[in-house]
Amino acid sequence: MITFEQASVRYGERLALDSLSWHMNEGECVVFLGPSGAGKTTILRLITHEAQPTSGSVTVGTFVGGRLPRAHRALLRRTLGIVYEDFRLLNDRTIFENVALPVRVAGKFADEDVEPRVMFALDEVGLKDKQNAFPDELSAGERQKAAIARAIVNRPAVVLADEPTGALEKKSAEEVLALLRRIHSEGAALLLVTTRTEVAEALPARVLMLEDGRIVSGEPGMPAPPPGAESAPWTVEALGWSKEDEDTRGAETVPPEPERIVPEPAPVPPAAEPVDHSERKL
Amino acid sequence: MHGYYFKEASRSFKQHRGVAYAAIVVLTAALALTGMFLLLTYNAQEALSMMGDRREMIVYLKDEVDDAARALLTTKLQDLYGSVTYVSKAQAWEEMRQQVGDPSLLDAVQDNPLPASLRIRLKPALLMPDSMDAAAHQVAAFPEVEDVRYGAEWVRRLDQLSAGLRLGTLVIGCIVALAVVFVLHNTIRLTVLARRQQVEVMSRLGATDGFIAWPFVLEAMFEAALSALLALGLVFGLQQALAPHLFGIAFLPPLWAAAFMAAAVALAWFAAWLALSRVLRAIGP
Repeated sequence: MITFEQASVRYGERLALDSLSWHMNEGECVVFLGPSGAGKTTILRLITHEAQPTSGSVTVGTFVGGRLPRAHRALLRRTLGIVYEDFRLLNDRTIFENVALPVRVAGKFADEDVEPRVMFALDEVGLKDKQNAFPDELSAGERQKAAIARAIVNRPAVVLADEPTGALEKKSAEEVLALLRRIHSEGAALLLVTTRTEVAEALPARVLMLEDGRIVSGEPGMPAPPPGAESAPWTVEALGWSKEDEDTRGAETVPPEPERIVPEPAPVPPAAEPVDHSERKL
Repeated sequence: MHGYYFKEASRSFKQHRGVAYAAIVVLTAALALTGMFLLLTYNAQEALSMMGDRREMIVYLKDEVDDAARALLTTKLQDLYGSVTYVSKAQAWEEMRQQVGDPSLLDAVQDNPLPASLRIRLKPALLMPDSMDAAAHQVAAFPEVEDVRYGAEWVRRLDQLSAGLRLGTLVIGCIVALAVVFVLHNTIRLTVLARRQQVEVMSRLGATDGFIAWPFVLEAMFEAALSALLALGLVFGLQQALAPHLFGIAFLPPLWAAAFMAAAVALAWFAAWLALSRVLRAIGP
């Protein structure tokens, strides 16, 4: 699903990533653990094509290496859900509008389908009753949950989390990690980068230790399964996104609705089961 | 989805009212200047075309031309140059008496010295000075013709004035078009930079450039349309103020006003995409 082959990134004199090779399969949970400046965020930036490797290649689903055209890059990002340490919510719009943004960006849902989809995601993170609040009116933990709802609202193939508990106090951090665990258990691949060992330990993850842009411990992973192997539902292909779609239909056109691997968001269950945050503690 | 674009454009406009209002004031001033020139050009063109319609050629006939020869000549001239009206010596004398006003002034003249004439209202294709010149030379070559008059110098000046006005409007129009593009380009650039965080977030969520850009483009088009409407209002006010003093001055016809607004909106669309294609590449990683 995600493969780095001898990927290096150099910022001037500094080598942020040094010939990094690793692989992540569909539905897997991988944590990069390392100190600040180890190159963790650079890995995420390579996956989202915010940065390009100085040498080597990065493959995400069907998007193979190299500099992608802007339209393809947008398409790639729509297959990902991203959670940032600083949430990156838009303060001038409500939580509902923030979570609705990726749905509108995807461009494949009619206006009347946006609301049930957003409400389902908000229900999953326990923020249904905060839909009309603005980010400034929420606690840090709630803001991060809203950011997670935004990341999962389109059922992405993989959720990327950049130090998601970095700005949170212990209880909120536990809740956010429980949420990420549940999302992963439902089938999403999860790639998390952190400086904190307890975060890595709280997830059922393959942990890779990163120092000075190199993996110093952990299993870098097996190569991609052979062609024809049955693919897991949370994949770029299963979601119906591919570069060919973009080529043949134009940048604004979206691929057909993929088969869902989670219950349809509409209708929203009248009394959704609350998330059990007590199942695992840090 | 289109509803979303309009909602976003409205949000952006409200959030950056200061920049938007400043742009609207500047654009209104620039467009009003063009509108005034359009008003001047339109009215001048109307006046010139009315005068142009009255352009006629007077063909004076020799006294010895009999009715049969005159009828033959009339038919030939009608075929070649336009509609022909015969003015006899007596009619010409009567016209002169009316123009002079005081009949006693003409009492000293014993015989009617005025020649009979044929007045040709030329075909539209022959109204240009050069064509009129050529036609006059051809008509003068007929043996029945004594002389041909058509006010060559006046016709030439009329055409020069008309061409000058058209050129002036074109030059002013081009300068204003550049100013409109410049103002909107910078306004949109400032608006996008002010919403940099939003653009970055949307880019990371997988929004295409088109998705990010459309609300800004709509905002620019709205500002231009509003400015053009205000400018037309100012021009209308000017026309109403001048109407009592300048007889016959008319406001721009609906087609001209619609074309004026459409041009402003098209310029806004162009300026906005120009600005966005650069600024989005600078912001969106």
